[in-house]
Amino acid sequence: MRYSVKLCIGLLCVPGVLAAQDIAIRNATLITIANGDVVGNIVVRGGKIAAVGPNATIPGGIRVIDGTGKFVMPGIIDAHSHAALEGGINEGSESVTPEVQVQVRNDDPTIYRALAGGTTSALLLHGSANTIGGQSRVIKMRWGAPVDSMYFEGAFRIVKFALGENVTRASSTAPEDQRRFPMSRMGVEFTVNYWFQKAKEYDAEWKAYRASARGNTNAIMPRRDLRLEALVDILNGDLKIHAHSYRGDEILMLIRVAEENGFQVHTFQHVLEGYKVADEIARHGAMASTFADNWAYKAEAWDAIPYNMALMSERGVVVSVNSDSNERIRRLYQEAGIGVRYGNMDVNEALKMVTLNPARQLGVDKMVGTLETGKDADIAVYSAHPFAPDAMVEYTLVDGKVLFDRSEASTLRKQVNAQTQGGSR
Amino acid sequence: MARSFFIAIAAVPLAFASASAQVANPGAPAAAPRVDYALTNVRIVTAPGKVIERGTVVTRDGRIAAVGANVRIPAGVVTLDLNGHSVYAGLIDAATSVGLPTVMRPLATAASGGTGGGGGPGGGGGGPQAGRGVALGRASAAAAPVVYPELEANAEAADLFAPTDAQLKAFRSAGITSVGLVFDGGLFPGRIGAALTGAHDGSGLSLRTSVGQQVAFGRNRGGYPGTGIGAVSFVMQSYLDAQYEARVEQAFKAGTPGARPSNDPFRRSLIAAATSAMPSWFIASSEREIVRVSEIASELSLKNPVVVGAVEGWRAIPHLKKMGATALVSLRYPTPETVTGRTFLAIGSGKSGVAPPATAADTAEVRGNAAALVKAGIPVAFASFGSEGTYRERIRQAIGAGLSADDALRAATVTPAALLDITAAVGTIETGKLANLVVVSGNDLFAATPIKHVFVEGRLY
Repeated sequence: MRYSVKLCIGLLCVPGVLAAQDIAIRNATLITIANGDVVGNIVVRGGKIAAVGPNATIPGGIRVIDGTGKFVMPGIIDAHSHAALEGGINEGSESVTPEVQVQVRNDDPTIYRALAGGTTSALLLHGSANTIGGQSRVIKMRWGAPVDSMYFEGAFRIVKFALGENVTRASSTAPEDQRRFPMSRMGVEFTVNYWFQKAKEYDAEWKAYRASARGNTNAIMPRRDLRLEALVDILNGDLKIHAHSYRGDEILMLIRVAEENGFQVHTFQHVLEGYKVADEIARHGAMASTFADNWAYKAEAWDAIPYNMALMSERGVVVSVNSDSNERIRRLYQEAGIGVRYGNMDVNEALKMVTLNPARQLGVDKMVGTLETGKDADIAVYSAHPFAPDAMVEYTLVDGKVLFDRSEASTLRKQVNAQTQGGSR
Repeated sequence: MARSFFIAIAAVPLAFASASAQVANPGAPAAAPRVDYALTNVRIVTAPGKVIERGTVVTRDGRIAAVGANVRIPAGVVTLDLNGHSVYAGLIDAATSVGLPTVMRPLATAASGGTGGGGGPGGGGGGPQAGRGVALGRASAAAAPVVYPELEANAEAADLFAPTDAQLKAFRSAGITSVGLVFDGGLFPGRIGAALTGAHDGSGLSLRTSVGQQVAFGRNRGGYPGTGIGAVSFVMQSYLDAQYEARVEQAFKAGTPGARPSNDPFRRSLIAAATSAMPSWFIASSEREIVRVSEIASELSLKNPVVVGAVEGWRAIPHLKKMGATALVSLRYPTPETVTGRTFLAIGSGKSGVAPPATAADTAEVRGNAAALVKAGIPVAFASFGSEGTYRERIRQAIGAGLSADDALRAATVTPAALLDITAAVGTIETGKLANLVVVSGNDLFAATPIKHVFVEGRLY
């Protein structure tokens, strides 16, 4: 692994813990997500799951963690986070900025805390101030790695859209001559239509150039416009939309505008009234990433209910539950459990909402999201079933590396204290 | 066009003695009669690794007239017997903002505060952001012309260099006889220059303009980009626009139907940098910033950019190599909180928000940065960024962390001279070059001993 040589962040070097190694967990309850729960072993070789199940043979000479009485689950995937970013969350000076790309900050302590909660991947989204916001980044929580090694290779390119109050109020307190269009829901709809029209004209200009450039030395390559290029990528399906939304009417609006303009809304984010329009979401082919029980923090979040996850799932929508919070990112397994309490979801279906389903929404379900042979060894070991109120994460592995080990956390804290209290500098 | 422009600049003879109106100090007394010197019985380090154990350096009219073990001392010069001392080429501080106007200075012409979106330098909506959002926004009210000093891509740092006597003295006291001029802040704040640190005496200080195009990733007040993430996109789009403009200009010259250059001065001013005819100087210190610059340089096919700051260069060596970059290593160390990984330590200790002592970030990694970069084959130039008082001390620490004395001298003389395109004038002790010299007792320029003499353009300070 190319980042293994640079695993020390600052003084955070824990020799042995961060090194790539083959490892096995024996005699644990394996929550495979794909094939039910079984008691057995899981073997990790070269960062991948080499064997999993009751008959998985542990080769000699590798590290073995005794999983007796413990539960092993795929690493949690958070489909909505703004942690570990720098340089701003919202490029809010204008309302259409899909050329902007969020910047990952690899030493944000939230990464380590997320690992302590079994979370191994996340979608780091641009904020919701813009109708068409910036490009977002799917990362793995490779704590200690250089920034470009955090990117989740093979994940979707994802752009943030936003509807409703966050957009319309973005500049509402600015002096009148500095306010930004759009300031109404009508304006948001028009903005999307307007910019996709421009994108089509831009695409046509380039296609005409490419057609005429053959044998025509007079053809001048057109100006590249990064903003319109990104919109053309959306039209071509190369850049997936995750759309911040709350109300049923705005969700229907974006679906209609998307279908009229010929693009796909890949995932609705928040989508608190998704239960009202679940059939329409499913028919469009969109997925949904929502809160478990977080509502009424503003007018458009008034009609949210904790049954939203279960109701959307029942209507065929692929649902994930996300954090949008540096606190909830540490306990998303509990958030998933709320779907069982409210809506009586099947336990495995509920756990899918933090594993396989967000993996699908981020385009990484071939690599993570279940315990299956050949997938990346992104794994967390819990002291009890993740839905048990006293369950704690004991180990978290990313690409087979133990990046969180609760037994070493207190030692690490002592080291940190010693180093920051002077002397060694 | 861009290439010929560059060559024309480079071909201008370095007319150091001629006055430069922008930097001349009208209140200064007339230039004192020039005194020529002979430095005798002195150990001469003519260049890194090249030593004359006992010899003579003769200056005449501000230049080095002779250097060697057996040099005839001409009549009429002042002889300084420097037995037990060494003379080195004057140090070069590759980047400082001292003496330059603050980029975010108050805007006299924008007193109305009306800085709505759009509108590049020169007013009239010339920048690449012009038109964005305008079609959908309300029209801006008529207002006084808006100036965005953070977007003055064709401002010349050397023209704006107006240091005080005290500032110049501070450089000379550190053995620094010439400086690279880099703006502090801004987005496209202007172009890099080079200047001398002699006193104002009517001779002018400017050595070189248009050395490089500075890219500082700041924000644009009142418009796009309003964030660091937006600034990266803005920089990319601005370079792409300049590359397009270069294509159109070329087609126009060839008589291609329909090709007509724009009237956008901002776009035009970036053509040289966007086509790599002029190097781009990117402000980037942390590992993440360097990686970002590497991505930009790759996307825009920029050749041999300069990474200005490079404090965490040792973490990003593969990126610096891939870019073919020169690392302009800041000797103004970061505060601990800004060093990658240390935030976690600060929080983990329960001491978040407590300001550590200023010296706390003098870590082995930061001190060893230059050594690691040199070892990796990356050209390194040292820069003080306003910390000229500790310039030699920090270089001494870099040597203590594994940098060879020769490499240290190279990073403080030859490499910055090449970077600033002033090698013909400074950087080594050679006949014909400017008499920029530093004399120290003993052998070691970077020892913790005071500097005995400093000469700038032959004048003894």
